[in-house]
Amino acid sequence: MSGDQTVICRCEEITLKEIKETVERFQCSSREVKLRTRAGMGPCGGRTCRCMIDRLVEQLGGPKISNDVSLSYRPPVRPVSFGILGGEPK
Amino acid sequence: MNSMRVTDHPILGTLENKKQVTITFDDVPYPAFEGDTIASALLASGVRTLRHQEDKGTPRGIYCNIGHCFECRVRVNGKNTVRACLTPVEGDMRIESGGEL
Amino acid sequence: MIDLVIVGAGPAGLGAAISAAEYGLEVCVLDEFVKPGGRLLGQLHEEPDGKWVNGIAEAQKLYYRALQLGVKIKCGVSVYDIAKLESGWCVYTTDQIYETECLLLATGASETPIPVPGWTLPGVMSIGAAQVMGNVHRVKPGEKGIIIGVNVLSVAIARELQLCGVHIESILLPQSSFVSGDSAHPEKMMESLLRLTHLAPSPLIRFGGKWVNPKIGARLYPRNGFKMWGIPIQLRKTALEILGEYQVEGVRIADISATGEVVPGTEKVLSADFVCIAGGLTPMSELASVAGCSFRYIPELGGHIPIHNECMQTNLKGLYVAGNITGVESAKVARAQGTVAGLSVARELHAIKQRADEIIDIAKKEVIDTRRNALIQFQAGIEREREELYDKGNNVFEEKISV
Ligand SMILES: Cc1cc2nc3c(=O)[nH]c(=O)nc-3n(C[C@H](O)[C@H](O)[C@H](O)COP(=O)(O)OP(=O)(O)OC[C@H]3O[C@@H](n4cnc5c(N)ncnc54)[C@H](O)[C@@H]3O)c2cc1C
Ligand code: FES
Repeated sequence: MSGDQTVICRCEEITLKEIKETVERFQCSSREVKLRTRAGMGPCGGRTCRCMIDRLVEQLGGPKISNDVSLSYRPPVRPVSFGILGGEPK
Repeated sequence: MNSMRVTDHPILGTLENKKQVTITFDDVPYPAFEGDTIASALLASGVRTLRHQEDKGTPRGIYCNIGHCFECRVRVNGKNTVRACLTPVEGDMRIESGGEL
Repeated sequence: MIDLVIVGAGPAGLGAAISAAEYGLEVCVLDEFVKPGGRLLGQLHEEPDGKWVNGIAEAQKLYYRALQLGVKIKCGVSVYDIAKLESGWCVYTTDQIYETECLLLATGASETPIPVPGWTLPGVMSIGAAQVMGNVHRVKPGEKGIIIGVNVLSVAIARELQLCGVHIESILLPQSSFVSGDSAHPEKMMESLLRLTHLAPSPLIRFGGKWVNPKIGARLYPRNGFKMWGIPIQLRKTALEILGEYQVEGVRIADISATGEVVPGTEKVLSADFVCIAGGLTPMSELASVAGCSFRYIPELGGHIPIHNECMQTNLKGLYVAGNITGVESAKVARAQGTVAGLSVARELHAIKQRADEIIDIAKKEVIDTRRNALIQFQAGIEREREELYDKGNNVFEEKISV
């Protein structure tokens, strides 16, 4: 297996190659990488790969890691059922 | 009972007689100790693969073991997306692995 | 409405619960893990005097003390959202919704992975996963393991796994790539290893004494590594790929130069039934981010840190942080920070009748002393970075909250 085929986002099985190509083609931020490739959008909410994607984008010549949490988190930060979101206890 | 258990530990001591329960994973019964998580009980019996990735079907097991990565998600008594690494076993618990969609 | 809800029952959360409850506050601690104690549960260290520090016993002491003081502790509950109320905070959990005057986020750190070809195979896990499996659940992660990533945590946990009866075949570096950063660089790793001398007194001091300069050390580093407790630590070998059809069967490795390049013709396969990835720790900022905290990116502290002051107050009224969410440090520092946070909340809610500032100053000093004496220094420069951060925290705090 070549390095480019290494999975970066485990949830969505997005490879290093896909992320590299996206950054090179669109010159984009990690936020945009996430929206374009779905990397970091799986059930873990990016907890596993978020800082790697930030680092990767920086290394590939994209924006530097800034003070903002770039791949900002959205609630719910854990996948929950609609029942729970509706306010009923589990 | 099982070679994967750390029964005697030089500093943490010996596991006392723990109550045993039975769980099923994809219809196969496995022994578990009370206090186990689903993930630890299955690993004690040598089961590493908990599900297959939805798109590509690659096998997956625990990765973080503390609830962060959701790689261990299984179906428990009919409920989806339950983290095996955070869920204590109960007698007769019915666990099913997720698979390719 | 509760006085204080704490997310996270690690040393920081429990420490805060105890100090707040000692001043009569009504405190509720929520944690999604099966037991209270957080990452302290997995820890097992030998102090320089030869005494073992058993994380499970330490966690139990904190837990019982908190219970004694009437703190409610709920495990198996995940917090998935928080929202600011007119006065106080609303905490959404998988169990119920809580309303609280003050909220403390003590959610700790998560592990940074290093992607390696083949790392999604069952049997590959983070180093912390193996620690919890062995020490907390008392199940071996496997019989024979290889650890990818040489750092303070991976060497300490390798030793713990050995005590569980697991054979560690090798601790080696990941391959140099876009994502590996310093972790693939022998010189850089040498530097970080030298911070570990007090953890593993004899072998590393001997080692450190010989090669105090990381540059020289990395170059002179023995090709087959050196052994600590019989475990080969190999700064001049790299993991190219994790192999296996349905689960881990081994790792393809190669020799590398002092600057990390693979030496052609040195590839070989080591067999193993599990692999651990040790990429370091990063503060878990998700809930602080959802709450709307301001952040600073501080690599020395592990990543994005919610701005806070030395009393552990964030820039949002009634919202506090403590422990590894404020920067990766040892469990004792986390606990001391928790104490400060609990006291600060007690002061905000006017529960400390006398000398509140003085009491908090003593607790703050305790944090600094604990930091200076910590056995494990995760990074260099923690104290300096913290002082700068607190300055920012104080400024932001005065602007936004004093009114
Ligand atoms: C894998 C790992 C191994 C470590 N090993 C060592 C070591 O050997 N020595 C050492 O000195 N330090 C070690 N550390 C550092 C360690 O984090 C600190 O020592 C200390 O445990 C930090 O305390 P804390 O209270 O800040 O967080 P933690 O102890 O991490 O506790 C945080 C708690 O918050 C809970 N939590 C987080 N988010 C949520 C949520 N949304 N809902 C509900 N609950 C939540 C978690 O379940 C956890 O129990 C390790 C850290 C990790 C991650
Ligand atoms: S193994 Fe990561 S959530 Fe269970």
